[in-house]
Formats: sequence, structure tokens, C-alpha cells
Amino acid sequence: MEDRNTDGTPVVRMIDITKTFPGVVANDRVSLTLHKGEVLALLGENGAGKSTLMNMLIGLYQPDSGSIFINGVHRQIHSPQDSMALGIGMIHQEFMLVGNMSVAENIVLGMKDLPFVPPMGEIKKKITALSKRYGLQVYPDKIIHDLSVGEQQRVEILKLLYRGADILILDEPTAVLTPGESRDLNEILKRMLSEGKSAIFITHKMDEVMSFSHTVQVLRRGKSVAVKPTGDIANVQELANMMVGRDVLFSLDRGPYEPGLAMVEVKDLVMLPIGGGKPILDNVSFSVRSGEIFGIAGVAGNGQQQLTEAITGLLHVDGGSIHLGGKNMTNKSPLAIIKGGVSHIPADRGRMGVVGDMSVGENLSMKKYRTAELSHNAVMKKSRIRRFAEDLIERFTIKTPSQDTSVKFLSGGNIQKTILAREIDFCRGILIAVYPSRGLDVGATEAVRQNLIKQRDQGSAVLLVSEELEELLMVADRIAVMFEGRIMDILDANKTTTEELGMLMAGVAREGR
Amino acid sequence: MKRGIVLLLIVLLVSMVAFGQGSKDKASAADAVLKVGVIYISPPGDMGYSYMHDQGTIAMEQHFGDKVEVIRMEDIPENESSERVMENLIDAGCKIIFANSYNYQQYMQNVAKRHPNVYFEHCSGYLDNPNMSNYFGRMYQMRYLSGMIAARMSASGKIGYVGAYNTPEVVRGINAFTLGVRAINPKATVTVVWTNTWFDPSLERQGAIALLDQGCDVIAQHQDTTEPAKAAVERGKYAIGYNADFGKIVGDERVLVSPMWNWGNYMIPTIQSVLDGTWKSQSYWGGLEDEMIHLSPISPLVPADMVKAVEAKQQEMHDKKWDVFWGEIRDNTGAVRQKSGEKMSDEAMLTIDWFVEGVIGSVY
Amino acid sequence: MRTHLQKRDNRSMRMTILVPIISLLVSFLLGALVLLLSKANPLVTYQAMLKGAFGSQTKIQYTIAKAVPLLLCGLAVGVAFRLKFWNIGAEGQYIAGVIGITWVMQFWTFLPVWLLLPIGMVVGVACGALWAAIPGFLKAQWSVDETLTTLMMNYIIIGYAEYLYINAWKAPRGNMGTILYPEAAWLPRIWGRVHAGVYFALALVVVLYFILYKTRWGFELNMIGKNRRAAQCQGVCIKRNIVLGMLLSGAIAGLAGAIDSAAVTHQLTKGVNSGYGFTGIIIAWMSALNPFVSILVALIMAALETGSDALQIMKLPSAMGEVMQGLILIPLLAGSVFIDYRLVSRASHTEATP
Ligand SMILES: Nc1ncnc2c1ncn2[C@@H]1O[C@H](COP(=O)(O)OP(=O)(O)OP(=O)(O)O)[C@@H](O)[C@H]1O
Ligand SMILES: [Mg+2]
Repeated sequence: MEDRNTDGTPVVRMIDITKTFPGVVANDRVSLTLHKGEVLALLGENGAGKSTLMNMLIGLYQPDSGSIFINGVHRQIHSPQDSMALGIGMIHQEFMLVGNMSVAENIVLGMKDLPFVPPMGEIKKKITALSKRYGLQVYPDKIIHDLSVGEQQRVEILKLLYRGADILILDEPTAVLTPGESRDLNEILKRMLSEGKSAIFITHKMDEVMSFSHTVQVLRRGKSVAVKPTGDIANVQELANMMVGRDVLFSLDRGPYEPGLAMVEVKDLVMLPIGGGKPILDNVSFSVRSGEIFGIAGVAGNGQQQLTEAITGLLHVDGGSIHLGGKNMTNKSPLAIIKGGVSHIPADRGRMGVVGDMSVGENLSMKKYRTAELSHNAVMKKSRIRRFAEDLIERFTIKTPSQDTSVKFLSGGNIQKTILAREIDFCRGILIAVYPSRGLDVGATEAVRQNLIKQRDQGSAVLLVSEELEELLMVADRIAVMFEGRIMDILDANKTTTEELGMLMAGVAREGR
Repeated sequence: MKRGIVLLLIVLLVSMVAFGQGSKDKASAADAVLKVGVIYISPPGDMGYSYMHDQGTIAMEQHFGDKVEVIRMEDIPENESSERVMENLIDAGCKIIFANSYNYQQYMQNVAKRHPNVYFEHCSGYLDNPNMSNYFGRMYQMRYLSGMIAARMSASGKIGYVGAYNTPEVVRGINAFTLGVRAINPKATVTVVWTNTWFDPSLERQGAIALLDQGCDVIAQHQDTTEPAKAAVERGKYAIGYNADFGKIVGDERVLVSPMWNWGNYMIPTIQSVLDGTWKSQSYWGGLEDEMIHLSPISPLVPADMVKAVEAKQQEMHDKKWDVFWGEIRDNTGAVRQKSGEKMSDEAMLTIDWFVEGVIGSVY
Repeated sequence: MRTHLQKRDNRSMRMTILVPIISLLVSFLLGALVLLLSKANPLVTYQAMLKGAFGSQTKIQYTIAKAVPLLLCGLAVGVAFRLKFWNIGAEGQYIAGVIGITWVMQFWTFLPVWLLLPIGMVVGVACGALWAAIPGFLKAQWSVDETLTTLMMNYIIIGYAEYLYINAWKAPRGNMGTILYPEAAWLPRIWGRVHAGVYFALALVVVLYFILYKTRWGFELNMIGKNRRAAQCQGVCIKRNIVLGMLLSGAIAGLAGAIDSAAVTHQLTKGVNSGYGFTGIIIAWMSALNPFVSILVALIMAALETGSDALQIMKLPSAMGEVMQGLILIPLLAGSVFIDYRLVSRASHTEATP
């Protein structure tokens, strides 16, 4: 990022911050400086302590030791209200909006000086004005439930702007955004910086780091290991290296493509929205064979997630058929489908993938607990389950103090690894992975991809839904592109390009067909 | 802040200890007094049934002064908890226990069997034991008189009656009331609604309103609050009270009269017999002669000749020349239940479960 | 100086244990304040309450006997709450149990007497289960809000029970209620007032603990309660489990009713809506849905009731009993906040420039 608008005064200084949780040192004497008008990219592996450090800056956690200076003044920050009063605002990794309230209500929710009956008319006017100024299109009366992830993100940003935040903390804001939405976000950020605001930006997407930030700071296992101007970094490879401490493979080994029987056969699948309207799935047909990775590309919200939920039995379809392993499984129960050997890495890991209030060990056994391996008739084999979980934690390098830790205390990336471990371990021929590398660090992303390929090489049929074209091109054998509930085309991964995929994703059909 | 809390704690503790010291001395002083336990179904603040009982208890307390100490247990449910309450009263030194509601009787009998040295007095039931009496008043006599007044004042001949439960006590009251009504106006009817509660202001009011809506112009009641009477006078209709002088409480002359209790007239001699060592188990059913029951002053709206007629009837009963359930009685299906010349026995009255002719409604 | 709540980074074991104890102390101090205001000596009063609940063998027996239905209702509610199914209908399910056993005891006279008790209990349990399954089914099938249905169904069955003991099943003599069960079919006493229902309750604690913590089904219930959608993704059938969970919850409440009437009241009578089912909600909540902890909480709740007779004996107004019970509960419930949050004062920490 070139248009740097900093005069070099530090707005945030965190000095020698240490924070421990039972069993982990999340931050170990970390210091950080953010200057006025600067974008600082905070990088690090999953569980490196990035979110923890930021949570202390906004008062969700208290440091065990170390001090924080805001605009040169030593501060104790006890709560988000405190940090808000100091002009600091954060967009969390997991959004914190109240689903059944309106945009406007969410924006003012929890504000301190609000009168008992808030003047909603005025509030809405102010919101509309702000959204115009920053080009953030939102409708104040809409209910959060009905918004896409990208729109929710805009609400989060507006919330900060409304409250007059000058120091913005964005914890993986683009992890769930489509490439287009990410570009919009970049624009918004630029406008805010030009007004003298500053930002700390956490991301695992290396190209974003290179294009968005002025400075890069890397955490590794709770320690700060490098601070560098972005301009001094040669390429993505170097950046990845700094984070993981070793070389990261950006291309992967894979066996020859020898597809076998069709394991997943989807024919003329139709899903209609409740209450009518355009079909969510519109005559979708394809098949995934054993020994192949079948990618589905498309901008989020074009029916990919519903398609996978139909296959896994979570959603009801209105027409067409689904055969799994040769058996008709249309509208069968999720259990029947699981028993048919299907593993599923769902899109929304917090809500669908794990039970946050249960332990890592319990979460790891949530698929296999029915099998004779982990239970005897109706009774769970507790010690066997412990050994099983221990083994998975080791094999998939899940970073957790112990298997008894509640999953919700793990870092985002490690939560994803927990799901991955469970599903891959259970996989019996069919693996459905929806955005499996979302929020994962480069090392873990690499591991996920390797695992998918390993499944393929062992003869599983893998259905991979992703928004990242590089990932699809690198991992998949065939790629289908979805647009508005239809499959635009199915392409050979070796013979297509990002450009061609991009056109199809935008709904432009291939010529000459 | 923290220091403040600590200080507060210390003050509390010290004062608790200091208090404790003081009252320990007091506790051991009096053992010669007779401790009396009294169990009420509702708080005496109900201004109804338990209130009248408490008036009796107060009269008794005033009569004996220092010689008795009363422990009141209010708002005690009519289930096995009442047994525990009685046990606790006995532990606290009570030598005699009164309980004022029908459904305590079985529990009281159970406790009585376990504590032969304590006397038990149950009001409104019929169970007994060598150390347990039941007592009640012939309230039906007053019901009859109030029925006469109601019939005289009703223009439509349709009279409403808000009843609590279908116990013999309530059924008997309704029958007596209806006989009184029919003595003045042989065509008049008495419509009954059940509330299935002794004490529930809003349900009682609802019952009265239902009756008023059906065209009743006098509302009588066997309930513990003044709500049915209030509902009636608010609509400009008449009411017959119960338990206490509702005319005075409601403050309206349209409350024509209230049959009333005077429990003190039973409690005082009973306590005296305990003090004298002459207490005996009995089934006591007091009437006009010992003033357990009486009528409140009659409203000036009632014509003088009617007041005279009521007083004459009352005198007849007092002199035992006549009583309510004497002579031929038909039930409300028209069947003859008692031939002319017969007198209903106390046993039959205490277990009555059918309505006399003129009542609209059913016991079950 | 201002203070405010701050979320704890982590839920600590120490706090989970300490907080209830401290809350209890605060409760008693609050109660003491109210007692002092009503010119009663708190120490003496508490002592009397304690003696009222545990002062002699009979008193202990009364307290234990009272704790049995409370414990069972607490367990019943706990099972439903584990599913995040807000069953506030344990009261009604309890009454359904009483009606069930009374029906057998009154009308199945063709059976030999010794069979009446076991069959009556089974029918009582079945009635409770059925009464609970209805809102469970409505929720599972059409997502009808269970707080409303369970609450409404309490009133329906209270009214029906009233109709039975006042009208249809009323005994010709005796208390307002049905005829007494044949004495040979009563649940036997084992120690004074304490009856064999204690065995059932304790056995159920163990069985429930096993089911909830050791079996696959318990694991599934836990998953559903903590994240319904994730459980569904793991192939757990939400609808079926809600109905099954409610069947179990209602069965336990029905058992409570059957036991209490077979052992204590021996009839369906006025006072059957004793509030055990509602107190069960408090017990389930305070024991954090742990069956073993429920035993302790049920005893405390029973003691609060049996002990509060002492207040009236000490000539305190009758409402004082309820005031004291409330005072003791509120800090306990509020205290649970401090397991997850801590109180910090703010002014003492803001400092000046570096
Ligand atoms: N409340 C908590 N209790 C216990 N451990 C915690 C808690 N919060 C975080 N941790 C642990 O602290 C470490 C750092 O977590 P943090 O969330 O800061 O990682 P992160 O760098 O944000 O990772 P990611 O990129 O995956 O989001 C992890 O090992 C995590 O398990
Ligand atoms: Mg994080």
C-alpha cells in the first residue's frame, strides 16, 4: 500500500505483554507499535496468539503483565466500553451481531450514552450518511439474519465508524468474504486511512498482506519474531517462511488421476426456496468418482452450501436424485448418510462443525462414538475415546492445552483442524469439504490440501467447495462452476485458467458450446 | 468499598450475638402458661373466614390474658404439610391445637393418634379421636333466614349463590338458604356456581359476574372474600354476605344481611375445660342458643315486616320449636327425600350431597 | 469509584465451588438484615429454622420425605434442560403421575392388592411421560414454543385433577379427595416418616448420571443442548431426541407424583398442586443439571420449607417464610453470574502518562 498517511506518532503501544491461559502461554512478552495512518498486518500461525493480543487491546482479556499506551497515555482497559471510549474498535473473527435484530439496532446496541428510548429515526439518518460517505451499502431496517456474510461485515465496520473508532482492529475480516467483497473492503480501508485512522489487520491471505499493509509483524507461538516494512519483503514465499519458520509448499505432490466408480451422483437436483422465488438449486447434475477431487467454484451464495447440505441430508430437495455409493440417498436422514460413509466439513464451523462448550476430545469423537470402536452397545468406552482423541490431536497437530479444553477456547484455525481430523479420520469413501481452509494459516492450509489429496489417492471421492481459484486449480481434478443455483460448466482442472473460471463465476457462459 | 462490606459484616455479627444473649434469658421464663396452636387456611387479613376465626382467637386471648399463649400458623396448605406444622406446634409446647379448615381433618386425626397427650380441635369436619373433637356451628339456620330476606328483595325471583366446594357444609348452606327463599317466594330459584376455591378474589368475582349476567339480582356466597358481594352492589344489585358484617366492610346498604360466626364462644369454654382438666372429646354443633352464629344488623332497605318475620323465625329456632330441615323435602329432581313429619338427623345433614328443590345446579 | 462486571477469561473450578458458598453466606446475611428490621434476632431465628428442619429425628424425617419429590422433580426438569428444552411443566407431569396411580388404586380392584402398587407406579410414570411428550412432540414437529405449552398444560391438568377429586372420583366421606388407597398398597415407610421412595430417588440419581454421562444417548442429549445444529450435522436426530428426552423427563416427574401419593397422601386430594414441579426448576438450575448435586440442593430446598415453620412459631408474620426463602434463593441464582464474571473497580487503575 503506497498512499501512506502517517506522521509517525504512535497511537498504540503495547509493551512486553504476557498472557497465559491454563496450559498455554498465548502471548509471551509481545510488544507492538501502531502509528497514526498505518496499517499493520499481524501474522502468525493458528494459535500464535494474534486474537488474544488484540482482545487485550480492546479489554476483553487482561494482560498478566506488560503495559498499554494509547496516544501516549498509559491505560488499563477493562472492557470493550473502555476501549471504545479510547477510539478503539474491533471486528472479531466470529461476528458478534444479534441475529434477530435490525442493522440499526445492532449498531447502537451496547452503546453507553444511549437514552432509554433510542431516537431510532436520527440513528438511521446518521447510519445512512456514514454508509454513503464510505461507500458501504447497508439498509438500517434489515434484519441481520437476512444478510449475507459480506453485508454483515459491512454492518460490523459501520458499527465501529458510528461509534467514532480511530483505531480499527480487523481479525481475519476477509476469511469469509468473496474476492469481490475483499476488494471492496480494501477500498473502504483506504478511505478510512486517508482520514487519519489506523488499523491492525489479521489475515492468513498472503497476497492481501502484500497489497493492504505498510508494516508486517509476525507472531510465532506467542512470541513476536519479526517486524518489517511490507516493502522490504520480497515475495509471498518469504512471508510464509517468516510465519511458519520453514519452507511452505505452494505446489503439492499427487498420484496419477485414475478415477474409478461414481461415488456421488447428483441428477437434476432442484431446491426451491420456502415462499417461492428463484430456485436455490436449478437442475444440478454431476458425479464425483472415487479417486478424484471434484471442485465446485463460485462466489459464495450461489447455492454451493445448499448443494452440500442436500447431499448430507441436512436440507430437503424438491426434485431430482442423489445417489451415494450407488444407493439412492435422496432426502435420507443425515444419520443414514453418515452411515453410508460420508464425511462432511461444513461451511460454518462454529455453528455446524463443533459444539463449543464441549471438550476437544468429545468433539473429535462426535462421528465415531456410534461405532464399536468407541462404544459398546449404548455405553461409551471412555478410556478408549481418550486414547482415540489423543491420537488425532497428535496426528493432525491440533494445538490445545489438553483434550479436556472446551473447543471454544481454541484458536479459529485449531477449531477447523479439530473438525478436519474428525471427518478425515471417519471418511469411508466420500468426503465433502466446504471451504475447508477458511481461516487456516499457510502451514495448516497446506496440510488440509495434502490431506484432501491423500484421501483422493487412497480412492475416496472428494467434493471440495472453495472460493479460492488457486486452491481449486492446485488440488482439484475437475472443477464445476456454480452461478445462481446452476452449474455453468464442468472443466478439466489441467486445461482451464483463473480467467476462464472467473468469467463463468460471473455468469458468463463459455463461447462455442 | 471492601472495607465497608467488612464493617457491615462485623456490625451484623455483633448485633446478632448481642440480640441472642438478650432473648435467651426471656425464653426460659414462662412455662406455666397454656400454649395454644391455631392453624388457619388463609391469612386472617382475608377479612373472611380466617379473619372471623382470628376474632374468636383474639377474644379468647383477651379473656384468659397471661394464662394462655397463642401460636398462629397462617396460610397452611391442606396437605400433609399440615401434619408437619402440627408436629412443630407440639414441639413448641402447644397442649391444644385448633385447625379451621375441612381438609385438615384427616391429617389432624393422624397426628392426634401419635400424640395422645395433646388435645385437637378440628373445625367443620366430622372425624374425631379420644383426644380430638370436631366443632362447628349450625350456620344453616342463619342461611335460612338470609334466604328469606333475599327472596323478599329479589324482583326477578332469580337468586345467585357463589359456592366454594361441594362439601357437605356448603351444600347444606345452599339447601337451607333455598328453603328460606322458597318459604317467601315458592317460585324463586337459586342458581349455584362453583369456584373450587375458598379464597381467590378474582375467581369469586368472576363467579358472581356470571350469575349477574344470567339475570340474578341477589348474590349470596360461601366464600372467604367480599368480592362476590362487591360485584353485586357495583351493578346495583343486592348481596348477602358471609362470615363478617359485609354491609360494614363494603359500605353499602345493598348488602342486605350477613350470616356471621362467633368462634370465641366455642374457644373460650374449650380452653377453660383444658385449664380445669375437664376437656372431653365431642362432636360439637353449636346453634343459636350458644351464640356461635348470628346475623349482622339487617339493612334498612329491608321492609320492617320482613325483619319481624325473620326475628320470629329465629326465635322459633332458638326455642327449638322448629328447624330448617324438618318436614317434607324434595330434591331438585322432584324426588321426595324426606317425608312430612320427619326431622333430618345431624348425621344426614353432615354428609348431605344433594340439592333441595329450587336449586339450579348440581353437587357433582 | 465505579465498579463493573468483567468476563473471566476462563471458567475456574475454584470459582465454581466458591461462588455458591459465598452466595449462601450473602443470602444469610441479607436474611439477617430483614430479620433485624422486623425486630427478630437472626441468630436465634436461623437456629430455630435449622432446628425446625433437622432438630430431631422426626424433623429430619419430614425434611427427607419432602426432599424426595423435590429431588425427583429436579431430576426431571434437569433432563429436559440438558436439551435446552425449557420444560416448566413438571408440576403438571407430577399431577399426571398422581392421577395415573390413583386411577389404578381406585378402579383396578380386580387385581390382587400387592400388584396395585407396582402397576400403579408404572401407570403413573406412563401418564407423566405422556403428558410431557405432547409439548415435546409439538416442539419437534412444528416448533411450538415449549415454555408456553408446558406452562399451559399445567393449568389444564390442575383443573382436571380438581374435577376428579371434587366431582368424578370424590369419596363420599373424608377429606375432599378420592378414597384412600388400600393400605396394603401403600409404599412402605423405612424410617419414621421416611418412605421407600428414597431408594427410588437415589437409584434414579445413579441411573441418570450413568445415562447422561456414560451412554451414547446422554452424549447426544448433551450435543443437542449445547449446539443443536452441530448435533444435527453429526447425524443426531433432533426431533426424536426431543420427544424421547421429554418422555424421560415426564416419566421422572410422574414417578415423583406416583411415589408421593403412594407413600404420603394415599389419595388424589386438594393440595396435589404443591409446587414441587416449579421448585424442581430451581433445583435443576442450581445444581447445574448434575444429578448428584441435585440431592444436596433438594435437601436445602426441603429444609427451607420445613424449617420456615419456625418463623411463625417465633411469632414472625406468615409471609416472612416466603420472604426468607426468596432472600436465600436470589443471591444463589445471582451468584452464578460470578462464576463467569468478576467485579472490578475502575478508578483505582487509570494511570497517567508514561
Ligand atoms: N479463553 C481461553 N482459554 C484458554 N485458552 C485460550 C483462550 N483463548 C485462547 N486460548 C489459547 O491461546 C492460544 C492463542 O489463541 P489465539 O486465539 O490468540 O490464536 P490466533 O493467533 O488468533 O489463531 P487463529 O489464527 O487460529 O485465529 C491458543 O493456543 C488458544 O488455544
Ligand atoms: Mg484468531
